[in-house]
Amino acid sequence: MKIPDNFLYYLSLHEDCNERLLARAEHLRTEDVEVCISPEVVRIKKMVYAVMGETHRMKAFVRLQPLRTKVLYGFLRPRHRIGEHICDHFARRNAGIIVVLGNASESWISLCRDGRIWRDHGRGLYESLEKLKRTLHESLHEREKETDLPVQDVEVLWQIYYDSQYCPERKNLAAFHRQMPRKDQDSAGLRMVQNKKNATLEDFLSD
Amino acid sequence: MPMVTLEKIAHLAEECRFDSLGQAQSLAMVDVDAKKLRTLGEGTRHDVCASTFSPREEPLLGICHAFTQDGRCVSLFKTLYTNHCTHQCSYCTNAANCSSKAKAFSYTPEELAKITLSLYRSNYIEGLFLSSGAGRDEGSVMEKMVETVRLLRQKFAFSGYIHLKVLPGCSQAHIQEAVELADRVSINLEAASASHMSEICATKNYESDILQRQRYIRDMKMKPVAGKVVLPAGQTTQLVVGAAGESDEEIFKRILYEYNEIGVKRAYYSAFSPQGGTPFENRKAQPLWREHRLYQMDWLYRVYHFQTDEICHAFDENGLLCNADPKMAIAVEFMDKPLDPNTAAFRELLRVPGIGPRSAQKIVAFRKRQPIVAKADLAAMGIRIKRAAPFLKINGWRDTTLEMWQD
Repeated sequence: MKIPDNFLYYLSLHEDCNERLLARAEHLRTEDVEVCISPEVVRIKKMVYAVMGETHRMKAFVRLQPLRTKVLYGFLRPRHRIGEHICDHFARRNAGIIVVLGNASESWISLCRDGRIWRDHGRGLYESLEKLKRTLHESLHEREKETDLPVQDVEVLWQIYYDSQYCPERKNLAAFHRQMPRKDQDSAGLRMVQNKKNATLEDFLSD
Repeated sequence: MPMVTLEKIAHLAEECRFDSLGQAQSLAMVDVDAKKLRTLGEGTRHDVCASTFSPREEPLLGICHAFTQDGRCVSLFKTLYTNHCTHQCSYCTNAANCSSKAKAFSYTPEELAKITLSLYRSNYIEGLFLSSGAGRDEGSVMEKMVETVRLLRQKFAFSGYIHLKVLPGCSQAHIQEAVELADRVSINLEAASASHMSEICATKNYESDILQRQRYIRDMKMKPVAGKVVLPAGQTTQLVVGAAGESDEEIFKRILYEYNEIGVKRAYYSAFSPQGGTPFENRKAQPLWREHRLYQMDWLYRVYHFQTDEICHAFDENGLLCNADPKMAIAVEFMDKPLDPNTAAFRELLRVPGIGPRSAQKIVAFRKRQPIVAKADLAAMGIRIKRAAPFLKINGWRDTTLEMWQD
């Protein structure tokens, strides 16, 4: 990974970052962070990498489910303050759809429309989804779809496909664990879903 | 960017009449035969798709959405269109001459597009990797594959990554369409030469079915269409390693041709493993390390720009790589004295085991500010000092663990 020019942004999202550290990092150029070996700069570099790493893995591991026709939602409990950033990413990918990510205690809501992003930051995921359900004036026809959404189907499709890709003669668990660290799977609620194929919304919300 | 209330967001979303989810909704309930999904998925297990990075005008990131227990990434919905095939590749379980063939399945373009869309929307995949058996004839299967991709791109406005396999022997017109729709296309070489191909497959003509199709792709008009880069992730290829008794040096010769004459972006290597029911079921499996060493050789040529004769030095008298880092063997042979990282050129630094392009760049940037005075400086930059130390000399310090410098 290369240190990006906007490394201060990533640094500011780190769980241990504070105003003081940001102020001290402000005068650094990208190249300084890449090359300097002073303990403080090395620490800043590691913090930037930690946030970039988690950001990348959340874009990869968070799974989305549709709620009726206007909403996609998923579980997210990141270590760093990247909830909004990840939510925006999925909103851009699904323009016109409200993306809600979160966990039992907080949630992020983003909508991308006409190239712009609108956001809200709410309490628990469940609460935000309930509020959206009440607010969205969807037709009766659309509401009926709520009960027969293909959520499980997609998960089942995925599981069959995923299993088909495994080559037993190449088994390499060390590589698997290196690529899918447990902490990142936890942040994206991934293991939970794989263990419980029939995970429901409520499973995401019990801590 | 504004922070607004949930009510406002709900209102704004309701005003959108056209959206990706709405389209997907109409095709959400895909009724797929589980056995078909599994069989056609298994058919691509040995195909490698490394990255989904695509340098479009707005570059697409490479994202790996999951990894299997063998540590390989699953970032694309990688599948065959059909496992029905009339070719007789002696290593392949879908070949006409395999005695334990699975039942023949085939998708329809609509079905395949829907599965891809629903997996993509839920963020399981970055896109589609579509390969296939040749069916009764490669032309009609290629037609269906192109139709699938056209449906995705044009009807469903799918903007994910698409890697489309070009079937050996298919028409130039189909190749043109494939190139216009996909991020990346590839034809598998499978063998290192025409004679090795005849050893493993009696029904494919290496020159006309494969190399000629690669040249078609190379020579196609790549002018941007409506400001869009055509085939942004380029052409690649893949070889089965060790099925026909070829040496690594023969593979390397072929790869030189591929990189220099065809202009492939990358070559992939898949170590041969014998499959039950195929004519090659009793042949020896190739060790996975052979595949790994070939990739290292490939990187030395493609990324590190080592000279051909330097790389050839890593082959033994039988033209094979041994199970050790070829870069180390080359360094021992060609580096006649330890390097001072304070004065060595970038190209020289790259030749040191443990120092790659990024590390070499860091060293060059670091020494502009202050001299490198100790091993610890290099270690703090993130350089793998254990491997590099025997080849370096800093301020009179050097490790003399290698016999060659103990005179």
